[in-house]
Amino acid sequence: MKITNQIKDTTIIITLDGELDASSSVMLDEALSDPEIMTYSKILVDCKDLNYISSAGLGVFISHLQRFEDAQIKLIFYNMQDKVRNVFEILGLDLLMTIVSDYEEAMTIADE
Amino acid sequence: MAKEQKFFLPYHLIKSRASHFLSPTKLSTVFRFMLYRTNAKSLFITSALISWSLLLANVLLAAESMDRENSNALDLPFVNNLLIVVFIISVFGFQRMSAENLKGIDFIGYLWNIFAKGGIAAYLSIALYMVYRMVTNYSSVQSPLLLHMVYQVNFGLLVLFLAKAFYVWRQLILYHKNKFLQIAWDWYEILLFATLILTLLNFNYSSLIFLPLLGLIGIYTLFLCTNLKWVAYLTFNKKGRSLILLVAILLACYIFTDFFLGFADSPLLVIDYSDVGFLLLTMFFVALYTLASFLVALFSLPTSSVFEQKSEDLLNFQRLSQSIQQGQSEKQVYEMLFESTVKASDASAAWLEIFKGEKKEEIEIFHQLTIEEEQIKRIRHLLLAYNIQHIDYINNNLDRNPGFRDLTLPWKSLIILPVKSKKHQFGVLYLLKDIEQGFDRETVNVLRTFTNQTILTIENLRLVHESLQNERYKEELKIASVVQDSLIPKKFPSDSWFEISTYAKAAKEVGGDFYDFLQLSESRIAIIIGDVSGKGISAAFHMAQMKGIFHGLMQQDMPPSEFMKQANSALSRCLEKTSFITSALYIIDYRMKGFMFARAGHCHTLYYNSMMDDTFYFQTDGLGLGIIRDKSYNNHVREMYYDYNPTDVMVIYTDGIVEARSPTNEEYGEDRLRYMLTQTYHLEAEDIKYAIINDLEDFTGTTDNLYDDQTLLVIKFKPTQPSE
Repeated sequence: MKITNQIKDTTIIITLDGELDASSSVMLDEALSDPEIMTYSKILVDCKDLNYISSAGLGVFISHLQRFEDAQIKLIFYNMQDKVRNVFEILGLDLLMTIVSDYEEAMTIADE
Repeated sequence: MAKEQKFFLPYHLIKSRASHFLSPTKLSTVFRFMLYRTNAKSLFITSALISWSLLLANVLLAAESMDRENSNALDLPFVNNLLIVVFIISVFGFQRMSAENLKGIDFIGYLWNIFAKGGIAAYLSIALYMVYRMVTNYSSVQSPLLLHMVYQVNFGLLVLFLAKAFYVWRQLILYHKNKFLQIAWDWYEILLFATLILTLLNFNYSSLIFLPLLGLIGIYTLFLCTNLKWVAYLTFNKKGRSLILLVAILLACYIFTDFFLGFADSPLLVIDYSDVGFLLLTMFFVALYTLASFLVALFSLPTSSVFEQKSEDLLNFQRLSQSIQQGQSEKQVYEMLFESTVKASDASAAWLEIFKGEKKEEIEIFHQLTIEEEQIKRIRHLLLAYNIQHIDYINNNLDRNPGFRDLTLPWKSLIILPVKSKKHQFGVLYLLKDIEQGFDRETVNVLRTFTNQTILTIENLRLVHESLQNERYKEELKIASVVQDSLIPKKFPSDSWFEISTYAKAAKEVGGDFYDFLQLSESRIAIIIGDVSGKGISAAFHMAQMKGIFHGLMQQDMPPSEFMKQANSALSRCLEKTSFITSALYIIDYRMKGFMFARAGHCHTLYYNSMMDDTFYFQTDGLGLGIIRDKSYNNHVREMYYDYNPTDVMVIYTDGIVEARSPTNEEYGEDRLRYMLTQTYHLEAEDIKYAIINDLEDFTGTTDNLYDDQTLLVIKFKPTQPSE
């Protein structure tokens, strides 16, 4: 699992590469717990190379969801593979989180 | 032969008596060997006694006749020589048999053995001769018979002494032997015994022909006498004691040599044992080896303390490294380190600090040697000022350093040795000496080896401790596994309306998957399936909690969506922030021939409709439990009612099934599961389940390591009508 950050003005783009399982979700939790992340208005998560997400990985996003919402920070997923998207959908997270097809769409939603 | 048979006859007796110790066959071999040894020993003793007595008789007879006829010759020289040879071989053979293998390094014991059993013989012989002289002087009567008697007894004592010394020296020469030395010795022994033939044939060994041979044997002896490895293992004290014993043995050699050479070619005697070349050669060997040992021991006296120190270091080192097997505590290991290093460096003062916790501030002065707490405080303070309190540091001239000079310490050298591994700092060892240049490189190396070994030992001790702890956890986990297993129902109510078959396998000892049922009324049953996020203990706890919620809420008989709302509300208060639960609840009504269900983020239900002959997944919305922890959850759960037909099949499962991986890392998937149902829907529920599980196992291959918990429930509605 590789987690990389890219900053564009008030947007932070987090790229996930690999499998987000129980052990790598700890890394993700650390990245999202960073107080600095609250200074951005948008968090874009690039899931192009995310091959698998475990319940622990989902749990990390869920646990931070409320915090970002309260701080009015938009959390947007894009470039999600079908099988990963299916996991989000089964759990009902697609109705709770913003999942879009590509970067352009993500940026336009983020700028709304 | 008769004796041997005795051992074979009462076989059952031997077996019954000693079978716990040795196998009967082994035992009998041991006995036979012992028998052979004791037999041979007693044979040697008998033959020695007989040959010596005969020899004595023969000599006395000859002396008698010499007295009468004035002829200075033995009647039967060959018989006499044969007796001498038999006696010598008997005594040497006996000693050879009784010489035991070296046990340990108790060399003093061996020297004492020679002295006590052989050396005493020499003093006895001189005492005997003195008595004889006194008797003859007083009575002023020449008694050739008595002289012969004394001479003969002394001969016996000489052979005893030589045999004893010869075989003890053999043991010592062959200490730490190699193959070459063993062969050299064996040939030496053969060569020496071969000289007995000369005696037997009555040759004079001192004739010119044999001189080169004698010279060769002499050189051979010299070569063997250079094997003195055992001396190096003597400590200073033991060397002193062995020097005394060696002198005593040398003296014994001298007494015997003096006595027999004094009587050589004496006209008073009919026999001259100095003619026996073998005795002379063995005496030469014994005396030379004793002398060599004496000289080596004497000259190695000054260096023995070095050797002692090294061997003590080694021993301490061994103790340190073995302390794990002996189940010693960390405290004892530190104690050993302290003692060993103080001894190895000959330090005049020392102390050892052990860090108590992770923080370096909390230290405990573990050991102190001739140093005041106040002094330690001052030195530590100074080191802190120099910022060198936890690093390797040697100062061999403290007086040159103004800081230390001001402390006016009585010591002149200081070494600081941190006891630390890459990850951990365990403590610091401080050694002080009252001389300049007290810690040379050699000593420092030894000290470092000690600290390194200590680190290794301590870390190993901790590992052992940890693994024991893990073992205990594993045991407790096993219990948890049993407890959890009892939470899952094994038997569903057998009903004529439907048949149900279940399968559950946890990835670890305890899992997060669960299912349960509750008979709501005569015609209605509630079935729940769920999956707690994560694995292991925390998941197991939440699973138990969910079971409680299910039973608690469903007592009030509520529709599935209402159950999900209330369960979410209940779980919101107790679930960890990153945990959530997916679940699906089905309430089957036999009378209405339908079921109501709600899905909370759980896997879609797979269904086979017999009327349409179609398999599909119920695509309903529903958010997992514990994701939204307020009232807004209520908008995220949907309820569905479905009328079933007889022979319809419902497959309920957890994501461990569809997300199971093949060796090539592909997922089993919903499509394959659905395909399996289209192939098997006509079977009974039990067989459908087995077909799916078999296919799943084919897909994943035989891996012991399950990725996630797997649960599968197959429900088949029956066509038969109730009897009522």
